[in-house]
Amino acid sequence: MSVVIKGQEIELDEDGFLVDPGLWNEDIVEYFAKAEDVGDLTEKHWKVINYLRDYFKKFGIAPMIRKLCKDTGFTLKEIYELFPSGPAKGACKLAGLPKPTGCV
Amino acid sequence: MKPPMHVAKETDLAAIGFAVSPLQEQQQKTVGKLNELVNAMRSLSVIMETCTKCGICANQCHSYLGTDDFNNIPAARADLVRRIYKRYLTLRGKYLGSYVGAEEFDDQTLTKWLTYFYQCNECRRCARFCPFGIDTAEVTIAARHILSELGIMPKFMQGITANMIKSGNNMGIPKPAIIDCAEFMEEEIKEETGLDIKIPIDKPNSDVLYIPSSADFFTNIDTMIGAAKLFYKLGLNWTISSSILEAANFGLLFNLKVMSEHNDRMKEAALSLGAKLVIQGECGHGWRAAKMYSEGVNGPIPFEIIHILDFCALNLDNLQLRKLPLRVTLHDPCNYARAGEICEQPRQILRACVDEFVEMTPNRDENFCCGGGSGILMDEMMEIRMKLGKMKADQVKALGKIDYLAMPCSICKAQIPNVLSHYGIDIANMGGVMDLVGKAIVLNE
Repeated sequence: MSVVIKGQEIELDEDGFLVDPGLWNEDIVEYFAKAEDVGDLTEKHWKVINYLRDYFKKFGIAPMIRKLCKDTGFTLKEIYELFPSGPAKGACKLAGLPKPTGCV
Repeated sequence: MKPPMHVAKETDLAAIGFAVSPLQEQQQKTVGKLNELVNAMRSLSVIMETCTKCGICANQCHSYLGTDDFNNIPAARADLVRRIYKRYLTLRGKYLGSYVGAEEFDDQTLTKWLTYFYQCNECRRCARFCPFGIDTAEVTIAARHILSELGIMPKFMQGITANMIKSGNNMGIPKPAIIDCAEFMEEEIKEETGLDIKIPIDKPNSDVLYIPSSADFFTNIDTMIGAAKLFYKLGLNWTISSSILEAANFGLLFNLKVMSEHNDRMKEAALSLGAKLVIQGECGHGWRAAKMYSEGVNGPIPFEIIHILDFCALNLDNLQLRKLPLRVTLHDPCNYARAGEICEQPRQILRACVDEFVEMTPNRDENFCCGGGSGILMDEMMEIRMKLGKMKADQVKALGKIDYLAMPCSICKAQIPNVLSHYGIDIANMGGVMDLVGKAIVLNE
């Protein structure tokens, strides 16, 4: 399926994640923030999003959840407060990463 | 009728070497594949011929109890295949039709299969109670295999298989990320114990190849840390392999050729590293595939395969464990307790690690599935998954206050927290058995 975000047609997968992580931009983050009930984006949200994007650029995958918490200084509970659908299904979506799959 | 999950598209299928069969060929192919399986698997042919519809399985199946859907009664579910078997592969079905329970293949047949064989967790509890020992999981395995051979499979299964081909694990973790994860876990252990405990990757001339679940490199890192501490304490020459960082074998859950490819991958990795022993990590169905189908399908297997909980229990006398002040219960993964001879070992380990171990009821080979078994972890199936988890929720609720719920299987670890939260049950902590071994083990003295 595809959606139009600020005039640009963006393809999403069945779970609403970006099909092409290369198309990621701040307008898309705003769009996902609404879809995932994140509310207004704060500095804290961006700290998590930027961390995920940097890790993904370097390693091609999302970081381990505990590493994400340790390196950003947020507890898992705080991550859930920032992203109600959680680090994998919420934060990764906003950061434009593919959906973590497997036994998770 | 619309199946409850996202179905893989043609381009998805091509990426893993599958293709969609044209509609006009579906009936012929389905019957052909079914005939092959019935001839190859004595168990399946007995199942097709034996059921008397006594109904005992109905109230033993968490799927039927949770969904209240007639087609989720194990006997009724198996009949979705049996009716086709009778119509096209038995003489009396050809001539007497519905009078003997035969049914014509139509445009809804495969949609019904896709819908209901992906509401069976392959937990085998029906087989435990069936007077004839009919194991509906065998029918589910056969039906899912036939569907996939016709190019019909959940997107979830396809995506995992694509990751497996690309990276050697279900999550798609590339080697540089595996190295980064291992280093992070080594730092965590160092911070906690002050010791340099390594998680070696692709180390040649290793005696032991450890195959964790790839989820241990994402969400369940204490399971991996527990295993690393155990191997350190026992002085093992061990390694993990970046070509098979995956105890799960989803092939068993949707396509038997994919299962065999996974077994080959394990075999090649162990041989190239020189391992004499393969230790499988905390994964239920993966243990069943490794234990029951590696020698038979991919043999000869020139090394031993053991489960981490069996290995740990055998070595309890060589470990010093401090008792953690916790009230702990155990969820028996179906593929351990009903298909893998891993029943008493986790209990022996937990009794050695914690102050109070309590059983949930029923337990061991009569335990109820978590509702995620056989890879029913699709997000889009969450509503059904919660129904499949209802019996598990009731079991846990009956125990009162629990400090830690041990569930030594990655599928259970992914499913149970959702189930408990859905039914409003609050448990302080949940995770693997090896997680607790890692916390209880004394390393410094």
